[in-house]
This record gives sequence, C-alpha cells and structure tokens, in this order.
Amino acid sequence: MLGLLPYLPLIPQGDPNPKQPHTFPDARSVVGDGIGQMPPAASTFASDVDGLFYFCFWLSVFFFFLIAGLLVYTTIQNRRKHESQAAASSVTHNTALEVVWTLIPTIILMVIFAWGWKGNLEQSIAPGDARQYRATASQWSWAFQHPGQKDSTLNEFWCEVGVPVKFTMSSKDVLHSFFVPAFRAKRDVLPGRYQTVWFTPTVEGDYPLFCAEYCGKDHSQMISTVHVVSKERFDEKPWNKRPEKDEDWGAQFYSSLCIACHSIDGTPRVGPSFKGLWGKTEVLADGSTVTVDRNYVHESIRNPSAKIVKGFEGVVMTPYDESMIPEEGIDAICKYLETLKD
Amino acid sequence: MTTNVPVADVAVETSNEPTNYLNCKRGFWSWAATLDHKRIGIMYLVGVTLAFLVGGIFALGIRIQLWSPEGVMFKATSEDGLAGYNQMFTLHGAFMVFMFIIPAIPGALANFALPLMLGAKDVALPRLNLASFYLWLTGTLLACYSIITGAVDTGWTFYTPYSIQTQQSVISMGLAIFILGFSSIFTGMNFIVTCHKLRARGQTWFRMPLFCWAVYSTAILQVLATPVLGITVLLLAFEHMYHIGIFDPAYGGDPVLFQHFFWFYSHPAVYIMILPGMGVISEVVSVHSRKPLFGYRLMAFSAISIGVISFIVWGHHMFTSGQSAFVMMAFSFLTFLVAIPTAIKEFSWVATIWKGSIALTAPMLYAMAFLIIFSIGGLTGIFLGALSTDIHLHDTYFVVAHFHAVMMGSTAVAFFAGVHHWWPQIWGKMYNETLAKISAVLILTGFMVTFLPQFMMGSQGMPRRYATYLPEWEGYHKVSTVGAFILGTGFALMMGYLIHSIFAGKKAKQNYWGGATLDWKTQTPPIHENFDFDPVIESDNIYDYSFLTEEKKA
Repeated sequence: MLGLLPYLPLIPQGDPNPKQPHTFPDARSVVGDGIGQMPPAASTFASDVDGLFYFCFWLSVFFFFLIAGLLVYTTIQNRRKHESQAAASSVTHNTALEVVWTLIPTIILMVIFAWGWKGNLEQSIAPGDARQYRATASQWSWAFQHPGQKDSTLNEFWCEVGVPVKFTMSSKDVLHSFFVPAFRAKRDVLPGRYQTVWFTPTVEGDYPLFCAEYCGKDHSQMISTVHVVSKERFDEKPWNKRPEKDEDWGAQFYSSLCIACHSIDGTPRVGPSFKGLWGKTEVLADGSTVTVDRNYVHESIRNPSAKIVKGFEGVVMTPYDESMIPEEGIDAICKYLETLKD
Repeated sequence: MTTNVPVADVAVETSNEPTNYLNCKRGFWSWAATLDHKRIGIMYLVGVTLAFLVGGIFALGIRIQLWSPEGVMFKATSEDGLAGYNQMFTLHGAFMVFMFIIPAIPGALANFALPLMLGAKDVALPRLNLASFYLWLTGTLLACYSIITGAVDTGWTFYTPYSIQTQQSVISMGLAIFILGFSSIFTGMNFIVTCHKLRARGQTWFRMPLFCWAVYSTAILQVLATPVLGITVLLLAFEHMYHIGIFDPAYGGDPVLFQHFFWFYSHPAVYIMILPGMGVISEVVSVHSRKPLFGYRLMAFSAISIGVISFIVWGHHMFTSGQSAFVMMAFSFLTFLVAIPTAIKEFSWVATIWKGSIALTAPMLYAMAFLIIFSIGGLTGIFLGALSTDIHLHDTYFVVAHFHAVMMGSTAVAFFAGVHHWWPQIWGKMYNETLAKISAVLILTGFMVTFLPQFMMGSQGMPRRYATYLPEWEGYHKVSTVGAFILGTGFALMMGYLIHSIFAGKKAKQNYWGGATLDWKTQTPPIHENFDFDPVIESDNIYDYSFLTEEKKA
C-alpha cells in the first residue's frame, strides 16, 4: 500500500558533467517490492530481520489506530456542548486497567527484545569457513581485497551466492560505516581498530553499499557496488579485470578516485584540471616551477602537499598509498595523462 | 476572588487597566535586569522562538537541497562541492537541540508557570534565573559567531576524529555549547530548589500539578547529565587545539570514547526535551477535558522512572560501533524498560480525555496532535531498540524520522500546546482561535507528509546526512519537501497571529480556560508578586473542576 506513493514528475537535470557511477539496473535492487517497506532481501539475515520488522510494524499499526480511534471516538461522543458541561465520567483511577496496560506492553516488549537479541547474536558470529575479505575505507572511497588478491579493487567487490563472506575493515582517516541494505548488515569502520562484518548473500544481482556514518564533504558520494555472482562467474575472478591498455587502466583510476576534484575538460575544480597537464610547466605556490613528469605525478599521488600549484593554496588532497594505487597504477595514470595532452 | 490591590512601589498607573507584572514597570532595564520569573520566561520565549526560526530556515534549506537526487543548491561537481549542505544540517541540529528544544519548555513555560503552580512569589533563586538567561544569550551569540567564522560541518553530534580534523569553528561552537550547558544547569538547580522549598501551604508532593513533577524530573537530569557534555566539548576543543590524545586515534586516543561521553549526556537530553513536554500535555488534557489526570501517582512515578532509566540506555546509539554482544544485550534490554513508563503515560492521557467534557480548543488540538505523533515516535522506537532491526535501520532516515517524531512532532508541538494554553495568562490577551486551530491542523498534516515518507525511505536503506541520493528515492524526498513547507506555513501562521494578539488581541477574561491549579487562580495576567492572597491547597484533588459546573447550577 505504501509503495503506491505517487512519484512526482522528474524535473530535467542540466548537469553538463554528470557523475553517475551508481546506477542500478533494476529499481527494485534498491527499493524492494511487496509493500515497499524493506529493500530486496539478499542475505541469510533478511528473513529474520524482516520478520521482526513486520511484527513491529503491524503491532505499531494496531496501537496507532487504537489510540487514534479512542481519541476520535470520545471526542465525537463527549464534545463539550455548553459552557458548564461537566465530564461524563469522573473515574480517575482503575487498578485493574492500569495493571493490564502495564503488563501487556511489558510482555510484548520482552518478546521483541528477545527476538532482536537472538537475531543479533547470529549476526555477530561469522562461520569459521567464511571467505576472508579486507576493506579499507577512506574519504570518500572503499578499497576491497578479495581472498588472495594482492592489490585492491576500488568501490566494488564480488562475492559468490550462498558462500559466507567475512570482512575485516579499517579506516584511514575518520569514521565510516559499511552498510548493505539488501544484506541487512551494517558495521562502523574506525581508524586505529579493526572491525568485522559478515553475511551470506542469497540472491544474484548488484546491490548498493553505502557509507552510513557521516564522514565529511562527499559522504553521500561514497557508494560502492556489491556484485553477487554465480560460482562460475566468481571463479573467473572478475576483479582482476585490469584493462589490456595501460591508459584504460589509468582512466579507471581517474573515474573512481580523481574525478571529484580534477576535471578533464580544462575547468579547475578543487584541484587543477588534467587537460593538457602532462609535460606542462606549473608555477608553484612558492613561485618555483616544476614540469609535470613521472616524478611529479608520483609525488603528487603519494604526498600531494609537497608541491602545491599556485592558485590552489590551502587545498588538501588525500594521499593514496600502494593499497589504493599500486606503483604500476601510477604508470598507468601517467599513460592516461599523456592521452589528455590533446 | 479579590480584585487586585496595587502595591505601594508601583509608579505607573494605566487607565482602567489593573496593575500586572507587564505594566507595573516600563523601560528597557525593567526587562533586561528583571528578577521576575514571568518576565524572564517571556525573554526566553522570545529567544527560543528566534532560535527556532533560524533552525527552521536551515531545515527548509535541507529539504530544498533534497528536492532532486543530485541536489538543488549544492552539487558534487561544483567547486565547493557538498560542504554547504553538511553545514546546513549541522546548524539545523545544533540550533534546534541546544538553543531551542532544551531551553524551550523549562526556560519559557516552566519559568512562567511553575512558581505560579506552587503558589510561590518567584523561583527560589531569581538572580540565578536571570544569569541562566544571559548564559543562554551568550552561548547563542557565540554559536552565531562560529557560523560567521566558518560554519561547522560535523553534525550536531561532533563525532571524532572528523570533528578534530575539520575547521577551527568547532572550538567556538563547542564553547557555545559549554556555556549553554551551564544555562541549563542553572535552570535545573533553580527548579529543584523551588519545588523543595516554595510549595504552597498544604501542597504536599502529591498535590503538585504533574507539570511540576515533569519539570522536577527534568531538572535532575539537567543537573546530573549536562556537566558530562560540558567536559566532553571542552576535551574536544583541547583535542582540536593541543592534540591531547583522548579521542584522536593518531595520538593513541579512542574515537568511540567520545561517542560514549556524548551520548551519556545526549540520551538523557532527549528526556530533558520530552519530559517537560509530557508535563505540558498532562495539564492541557486535564483542563480542556475537565477531568483530573488519570492515574496521577503512576504518572508521577513514570516521570521519575523515565528520568532514572534514561541514564543507562545511551549505548543504544552505538549498536553498530562494535560493542560486545553482552553490552549490546544490556543496553537493548534497558531501552525496552524505558518504553514501559512511556506507554503508561500515553494510555493515561487517552484515559484522561476519555468521557471528559472535551473542548476542541487550540491548545487541545495541539495536545491531540502530540498524542498522535508521540504514539508514532514511541512505537517506531521499538524497531530501533530491538538489536537485529536496529543494525539495519541505524543511521538511516528511519532514525531521522523517529527522533523528529519525538523531538519536533512531540516536544515542539507540546511546547506550542503550552504556549497556546498559557498565552491568555501570560499576556492577558487572546489570539485568533480559528487561525490557531488551522495552524494546529497544518502542523499535524505537515508532520505526517514530511516524515512518513522518511520512515519508508529509511527502512529501505536511505542513509542519513546525504546531500545527494540514488534516484529511486526521489519521489519520497519530493513528498517530504512538500510536507516541510506545509509545516513551515503552519509555523509562520502561528507566529503571525500570536504576535498580532500581543498588540491587538482581545482582552482575555479571568481564568480563560477554566483551570483548577494555582496558575489559573491568580489574576489574568498575574500581578508582579503573583498572588494577592495566601494560596493554600486543602484537597488531594488538585484537578477539581466542579467550580465551573456548580456555579451555573446555583
């Protein structure tokens, strides 16, 4: 019934440089179906969590209409019609009634408490044979390592349907939170302490992974994609999809990491544009000059604050270490920059 | 009742108008340096209303931004990115919580009504009362200064380590909250002493109106919990300036410790907001249905037990932060315990109205809006208290909608119910009741249209504090934005007719609504000394409305 909420007409969007890394093929991969209250159910946790959710939901609907109904009924029946009208009843105390309306909610609440506690115990203990993944969060992207993977994959990962997955997570800067609505799984990611989360995906498809803990400017852009795939597809190791040409790999880094602050059309954003940057001589904030070559690009990725281009004083860029961009990745980015020389 | 006897030191004599606390002295200093609890209450009323206005403008800004998925005012691809949105929701939260809701009912309504209900001449410590207002003013001005110098973008929760790394204005905002905390502590101390020492002759504890019980319980929370907030924001400022290594993991600190400190205050703070609101509703439903409160003693004990339990539930704000399974279980259990007295209160209000002599006045409509929205706020709390569902709903719009049901839809609506209830007694003027009823209906409708879609988005997984979102949720956000403007219209209308009534409202007759407690037994509006007779409470039935009905028979 609630899914019938009317969608107002979309207003046309005139963004010349749309950043749309997060489109999901089927609208139901986000909003689910049924009565539209829960997202799609794609992990073993979902049936228990949804069961408790809908139990609370119908309980709430019942009590809401009970309270509202009593109010409306008595208001219609006992509306004051003349100035000196006294109350129709003067009962101010009824021990039996008060005991009943204390005990019944207490019993219901204890059932809900026990149900939620039991569900949570299952959520907190990962099976011993779960596949071990690694996640590193930073402002504002996720780096995932699949089992046995040496480098990491940015803003997406693959898992096999029916096989438990356990993530060990850490943050490089501030708090983040790993949240996949379709799995009913969420865990904060902290700097300086490992956190774990686990789940067993049950339905193939692509699902959004959100950062659920506020982490600064681009918090709402920190969305990744979870690919739940068949065993055959998983065995192909789709995350090892480094393109054949280095410049294409460089372009992948660009669109997952650099795009928020660096344009490729010449307009400066938070940082300088990449268009025509390769080989150019840049004037730095202290007046000295530097030629954009392999050394400069390397330094600008590993230690961005070392040389700040004039006009961008005060801008602080996140350094990317080898877990985010390996050494060969920097070569690839240089190749990509060469293609932007026009 | 005897007519007012002008007191000797009163210089100003206005034509035909009996002397009251509003006209007994005139001029700026008679207000700025007043020790009269009623005048301080009015200054608070004006102050918190302005803070509400500022917070409300930020709220509308948030809803405008979220009209379309990639944002209307701030876009990720623009030069400054989405930072402006983050500042808006931070300031909306900070102003509404620290400068509006926490001081609103204690500062404005309890200041006016509590001493009257106790038959007292003033609060126990009038100078401390005035100091508390000026601390509020200082804190608020410092908060405004911090906006000018680079608005904070940490969220009103100031979670570390982000709040340590972001701009300097976190320090001035933190100091502002430190000062506002002392304002709150002073108010609380004052009311505790007043309830203990200044009750009228014959007024035992169980002959106090329930509003006094609620304010008393709130005051205990204010005095015991607020110092922790003060210490926490000071530590945060020190961490920001000197890197003392308490919260910052880079220096061996623990960012989760900040969350424990913060919620140790901020959970009781939720009850600092809602308890006085519950007190207001108790008075309003009794007067406007001409019935004594149902289950008075159980209501009083509920107020106290809510206050006590609220100190030991803070961990439910941190169910995803990695607490041990045992601690999670304990906090979840305690959270369900606090739901029981809350449910008792809701049922008791309905039973109070049940078969009363129900007048659908403006205050009563606001109270009914409270009862309806509070039931939503309470019931959705069940989803969040249960561990397995909370993991899914935590930090989503479901939580946003839940706490707005409790803080905005309940506490703020209760505040406005109280403002409409005591308005004739405060000003001696009456507002346009038809407009007031329209605004009550607009606010109830606006609330539902704004927040029901947010519950739906939240359970589907829409995270909170997002400046942009997936296009699938666009319809829900658009409806929510429309609702916010309905709410805004309701509040604007309310401001309009209330301000109009001060200057051009009809004169309010004595005891306008027919209240039975002492706040209605004095002159309308009261004289400077509150009572020109010695108030005595002779009966346990403090909500006795028979004088209204027997008069006519005789």
